[in-house]
Amino acid sequence: MASVEDAAEPDRRLPKSTRKRLVETGRHALLLVWSFVVLFPLYWIISMSLKPPSEAIALPPDWIFLPTVYNYIQLLQEGSFVDAFLNSVFMISASVVLVLVIGVPAAYVLSRYDIPRQRDVLVWILSSRMLPPVAVIIPFFVIFRALNLYDTRIGMIFMYVTINISVVVWVMKAFFDGIPETLEEAARVDGATQFQAFRKVILPAAKPGIFSVAIISFIFAWIELLFSLVLTNSRAVTVTMEVYQFIGVRQIEWGMLAAATTATIVPVVVFVIAVNKYLAAGLSFGVVIKE
Amino acid sequence: MAQITLDSVTKRFGSGDGAIVAVDDVSLGIEDGEFVVFVGPSGSGKSTLLRVVAGLERQSEGDVVIGNTLVNELGPRARNIAMVFQNYALYPNMTVEDNMSFGLKMSTDLDPDEIQERVRDTAETMGIGGLLDNTPGEMSGGQQQRVALGRAIVRDPEVFLMDEPLSNLDAKLRTQMRTEINRLQNELDVTTLYVTHDQTEAMTMGDRLVVLNYGELQQIGTPLDCFYRPANRFVAGFLGSPSMNFFEGRIEGGTLRADGFDYDLTERMQSSVGSRNEVILGIRPEDAAVHDRPSSDHEFEALVDVVEPMGSISYVYLRAAGQEADRTFIVETEGQRSITEGEQVYVEVPDHDVHLFDGTDGETIHQRRLKPDVEVTLQEEA
Repeated sequence: MASVEDAAEPDRRLPKSTRKRLVETGRHALLLVWSFVVLFPLYWIISMSLKPPSEAIALPPDWIFLPTVYNYIQLLQEGSFVDAFLNSVFMISASVVLVLVIGVPAAYVLSRYDIPRQRDVLVWILSSRMLPPVAVIIPFFVIFRALNLYDTRIGMIFMYVTINISVVVWVMKAFFDGIPETLEEAARVDGATQFQAFRKVILPAAKPGIFSVAIISFIFAWIELLFSLVLTNSRAVTVTMEVYQFIGVRQIEWGMLAAATTATIVPVVVFVIAVNKYLAAGLSFGVVIKE
Repeated sequence: MAQITLDSVTKRFGSGDGAIVAVDDVSLGIEDGEFVVFVGPSGSGKSTLLRVVAGLERQSEGDVVIGNTLVNELGPRARNIAMVFQNYALYPNMTVEDNMSFGLKMSTDLDPDEIQERVRDTAETMGIGGLLDNTPGEMSGGQQQRVALGRAIVRDPEVFLMDEPLSNLDAKLRTQMRTEINRLQNELDVTTLYVTHDQTEAMTMGDRLVVLNYGELQQIGTPLDCFYRPANRFVAGFLGSPSMNFFEGRIEGGTLRADGFDYDLTERMQSSVGSRNEVILGIRPEDAAVHDRPSSDHEFEALVDVVEPMGSISYVYLRAAGQEADRTFIVETEGQRSITEGEQVYVEVPDHDVHLFDGTDGETIHQRRLKPDVEVTLQEEA
């Protein structure tokens, strides 16, 4: 028997504890390298924003420098950036609320009820994301002009809802599919109406999913640039457009660009940290509640 | 508390030619306070029938009456029922206390203090008083099961509906909870419908069994009635473990010719058989016996295929000596009896323990004999 011979031979492998430590060290090294790849651009942009304009793109870079908030002060004094920033926060928050109000109940119905051509409806909703934005931007522009939505906040909110509705419906449908139907049935036997069962039992159970799609919708809208460029002019200008305007025809204001970019990262980070505890469960949707 | 009447209830899923008939024209009456078990293999329609009573499915035809109310048009919330689900269906985001008080908040206008008191009392009796602040995710399967039962009991409903509530528990806990549910039902004396595919649960728990197969009612009766007086081959084979042995055969002048052996029918059997040609003989493993040498009339030779020792008893898998098909049957023997695989033995099939079934439709045409007092009990129950 092979196993008997194996046992007779001395084990030439390293002791188990050493092997374990090696694997562990290797894994950490790998993660460290990856973290570096991910975080270096962030370090670069933040450090650039804290350098005086003359040193911003000096090569080789000054690794050690005296940080200055000069760029940030400039940014605040410029006013239009702050306006656009607040404008974006308002429009995008409103659009996230609206897309959840529309998308979550829609996903629930698609998950639970036998509706005719359900598959087709789902694909139709997804089709809104099938074309690259460039392909639909002209029709959008024409429609916005015709409906007097051009350069309005309400128009931009509709636009954000349009680009986010498919991800909300699809992710939430998958999430609701993972919640056993017996939960609603138990609630209905317990005396709740169908709507009460949804509101009091299913919605709270779906909280992690709702927070996840809220964050995803927020980020998608926050980083959007193309639609803002075409559909706004002065009144509904977004923060990404303000960042973009530092890339001028004749020169790029590197310090201001870096400061503006850093500032736009902040709300997303704050939002993610705020709902972090729901996020982990939400991103593994479908496996949370199934027994 | 309430009696329940089902009148010609049919449930079809889908429509037209592709419709699946899950429950086919079932009528039955359930007494106030009775514990009735719906039992059958998967796909027999037992759960669907329960869900029709709950109002979670709308029957395609027929009437459902709970108490004195025709509930066809009423949703589950208006039926004053409580249900325990196979996966317990505890609300995952609520504590045990909230889970148990949810129904009272939804369906009664009790004030919060009363609700709290009732929930606490019930939790104490169910032995989950210490878990009131836990959420379902923090509890074991057995604890969740108790909460699910408690949630049903605290409502004080007219009817309990239980859909395979024990099937997610391990074997030991299942036996324990089986006894507990029995005790609770006796104490509360609430009409209970219980669905299971497990024939042991069915036999031990129900006042009466409703045996279903392919959506059709096979038999309604007490557990012993269904066991000793099965209405057809399906019921005979479904109840009892291991299952009854069946031998298909043709009748030739008072003898049943089965594959591998002949069986001489008694006069009583012959009159039951009448003019039928195709007949199935049924004998339970515990009623047949294995002998080393010929000892009686109703006997045939067989070869031992496999022996499964269970301790106090053994199950012997045998093959009739002259049979053509590759099939075995089971005989229960005493555990201490030495018997080896490949051995040649004589199998005795006592004539008073034999059931006979019609070869075409499976209906019972001849029942075994019972001890006189059992016979009397069964007749009284019927």
